[in-house]
Amino acid sequence: MQQDFILQKWAVWPPLQADAEQDLARQGELLASVPKMLKRRLSPLAKIVFCAANQCIDEHTIIPTVFSSAHGELGKSFAMMEMLEAGEEISPTAFSLSVHNAIAGLFSIAWQNKLQSTVVAPGEEGLAAAFIEALGLLQEGAEQVLLVFYDEPMLDFYPFAPFKLSADESCALALRIAKSGEGQALRMSLLPLTGNDGEQPVQLPAFIRFLSAPQAQLTLKTPQHSWRWEKMLNQHSSRGKLHG
Amino acid sequence: MTVYWIFLAHKENTMSSLEDDLKQLIIDSLDLEDISVEDIDSQEALFNEGLGLDSIDALELGLAIRKKYNVRIDAEKDDVVKIFASVAALAEFIESERH
Repeated sequence: MQQDFILQKWAVWPPLQADAEQDLARQGELLASVPKMLKRRLSPLAKIVFCAANQCIDEHTIIPTVFSSAHGELGKSFAMMEMLEAGEEISPTAFSLSVHNAIAGLFSIAWQNKLQSTVVAPGEEGLAAAFIEALGLLQEGAEQVLLVFYDEPMLDFYPFAPFKLSADESCALALRIAKSGEGQALRMSLLPLTGNDGEQPVQLPAFIRFLSAPQAQLTLKTPQHSWRWEKMLNQHSSRGKLHG
Repeated sequence: MTVYWIFLAHKENTMSSLEDDLKQLIIDSLDLEDISVEDIDSQEALFNEGLGLDSIDALELGLAIRKKYNVRIDAEKDDVVKIFASVAALAEFIESERH
């Protein structure tokens, strides 16, 4: 498998060069358009997803979306399980916001985005699964697709250490991709090489480095095969228009 | 006559403090960070136009009321729309269930 596409825009949140005070102010700006009654439902993870996504689309953009998270709002589920164990009733709000497509649902309400939305929990396939989903949407005729990857560190309760599946820091990466047009041309290929570069939370920082540095390609190995992303030269190459 | 007056005054006092407690419960259980007790009118609609709460809030509030007042609102039996109409209506329902 090999597929070419155009990366129109990308953004990561929190920013790569952190500045606590400045970032907090910018986060407020990026969330300003979210209705107040909806904003109270945003978890810290939902907020970083909104901040990354907001930088890749305009307020009134209607766009198919693919979200990808290894663990979603696992912390919320864990807190509810602890309450059940203690014999307490759980919060209906917390329950509704703990499901894997909760953030995608809030996003579609906030942006009035009624186009299709898919949420992937990719397992050992990592970043590739959501890319395949998004490239499929482009093949079906979508003009552009918004892809958002996000994860936060797992609770210590989970024995994640030997499995390479927990993030060191909370992070959201949004990409707006298209089949053609202006932007950075990328090629995604499947390779037979096997290995283990970890699941999405571990792959994500490597992919962000690939996007932000003058690095020509990135290969991520899984126990089944590998995926490679390459920056291609294209006529309309306009790297200045990309944001990171 | 005098006795009746005292009773009424007492009842009004309990109702208004129950209403204030309910307003605080609404703010706390529904994460209404920017709203204070003074901002909520006891007669104002809680859902849709008024305060703007939604169906998840109704479930959350039902749970909070059950925990705090040990009063169960039964969607099968009770007139939920009427009970949740306003803070005043909620206070009246809780008061009637407690006695």
